[in-house]
Amino acid sequence: MADDNSKVTCANPECRVGETGKCVEGLVLSECPHYGSAQESAEGIEGIEDQADTGRREAITLPSGELLSVKEAASLLRRGEARVIALIGPTEAGKTTLVASLYDLFQRGPVDDFQFRRSETLYAFERGCHEARAASQRATPHTKRTPIGSGVGFFHLGLCGAKDVALEVVLSDRAGEEYRAAGDDPSVARDFTEVLRADVLTMLVDGERLLDLGARHNVRSEVEMTLQALLDGDVLSEGQRLAVVLTKADLIEESAQRDRANADFTRLAENVRRLFGSVFRTIEPFQVAASPSTTIVPRGYGLSDLLGFWTAPTTIVPARVLPLRLPARAMERIQAVRDE
Amino acid sequence: MTERSTVICGLPGSGKTTFLAALWHLITAREIDTALRFGSLRNGDSAHLNAIASRWRNAEAQERTAVGSLRLVSMNLVAGDDSPMRLTFPDLSGEAYRRMWEERDCDADVADVLIAGQGVILFIHADEIQAPLWVVDVTDLTRRMGLPVEEGQEIPWSPRLAPTQVQLVEFLQLLRSPALDVRAQRLAVMLSAWDKVASEGRTPETFLNERLPLLDQYLRSGAGRWDWRTYGVSAQGGDFATDAETLRAKDRPSTRIQVVAGTQESHDLTEPLAWLMG
Repeated sequence: MADDNSKVTCANPECRVGETGKCVEGLVLSECPHYGSAQESAEGIEGIEDQADTGRREAITLPSGELLSVKEAASLLRRGEARVIALIGPTEAGKTTLVASLYDLFQRGPVDDFQFRRSETLYAFERGCHEARAASQRATPHTKRTPIGSGVGFFHLGLCGAKDVALEVVLSDRAGEEYRAAGDDPSVARDFTEVLRADVLTMLVDGERLLDLGARHNVRSEVEMTLQALLDGDVLSEGQRLAVVLTKADLIEESAQRDRANADFTRLAENVRRLFGSVFRTIEPFQVAASPSTTIVPRGYGLSDLLGFWTAPTTIVPARVLPLRLPARAMERIQAVRDE
Repeated sequence: MTERSTVICGLPGSGKTTFLAALWHLITAREIDTALRFGSLRNGDSAHLNAIASRWRNAEAQERTAVGSLRLVSMNLVAGDDSPMRLTFPDLSGEAYRRMWEERDCDADVADVLIAGQGVILFIHADEIQAPLWVVDVTDLTRRMGLPVEEGQEIPWSPRLAPTQVQLVEFLQLLRSPALDVRAQRLAVMLSAWDKVASEGRTPETFLNERLPLLDQYLRSGAGRWDWRTYGVSAQGGDFATDAETLRAKDRPSTRIQVVAGTQESHDLTEPLAWLMG
């Protein structure tokens, strides 16, 4: 609201154009019928309650719709059947793009057997999708990088699967540089709570870098070193599953290096199986094109298969049963029971 | 007399005030049989309702509801079982609802109204749905039309750019959030300007499923615990810019109103209200 001494005024008592320079109705100032006029009295029409002029109460703060913190995600997981998906990979591998594109598929309808139920992070999803949407006026889709040092946050998708079973899916979002740093120093991985709690680890392999002859061997090495760092950092848990995901499959499909890149990925997945097969319950390879820049493959290509893997039933790891050692003599057995 | 209140909500320009104007004409004119009937003018001033109904009868567009004003209007009605009721509606600017999505807060007075409402009417302008178009599809279409694909002046993200269905799902989720936790169970989804999309041959339910699939999935999943129905509504009866003379020429203005539920059509705007209050 412009104060009495301000030159900038608006007839609308809600408008703070004097402070913000912006019309509360989102209009260009020259088009706003209230701008420049003295403030209207909020006096109501007789018989109609018009409360604009009554004492102001504080506005009620609503949920932010932003990424969930570890605590918020944990609270959500307690509400029912849930899966935690840790997305791991180097910078620009396409972690945020993959999650944002999966969400965007639900904008067009159910994805295979899954229907959208709800989401506590719609605001964050929308920001993540913007540069792949026509509203951005871009000619090629893009996704903003997750900033370094922002720690981990979680996207949330509440889904409804076959037989109407509700499932909460939380998907981690952490800057790729932090996973890379763990390859240099596994103690860094100890802060990766999303990995420790994950039902499914999803290791992203940058398809664009795999096409680059100079980078292909480093791609394989980075994947193996990151997984090794998670293992040595003691953040892997029993019963976890691993998806090894080749991203940007559209670029590979269009490339003259396609066969070589596909063979490289197959070898990479085999190596991961050989090295870490005993660590994970299952290891599966996938190929996706979350946000292709051409129509050679559809947007979200491969995501429904990955979603199926993510949401597969979890295995309850049986509690370790210690062998029962009974004393040989009856009196000693009675004594043991008394001691308990 | 039973006191009832219903929340009328929707994004700016979704037809909330036009609905109130047409409803007030329908009830006071008593030209056709309706589920809820006129009771009396007692205990209230109908100046605002008379003013907007007058514009409606003249086939003139309604003025935008001023941002920040919280105007409550009441109607004395009689239900099908002859029981009297006083039904109160807020006539709120769509900006109040948009603010909940964009600024993540809610005016305390607006919150009171939302929490107290026994039913929710959610208006969606059927012909002004902001769909989530993808860059890749638009670029491909441009190329296929033989036009050059040019990088435009990139537009930074703003929550206002979000698809209509996302803003509406979030609005309904926020109504159920602990911060508001509204009491209403019944929700009438009103697809306004139905006359503009009726030629597409869809029922309101099919329209919701095909044009607003995220909202449709949310409602069908039961996550919001809504008991909901979908209606196609043409409260104006046509486009005032092109059809005003035809609309004014009707002998019984109430017949301008079109309400579609499933495959059934009527002029009775009170039918969704009667269901909400049931």
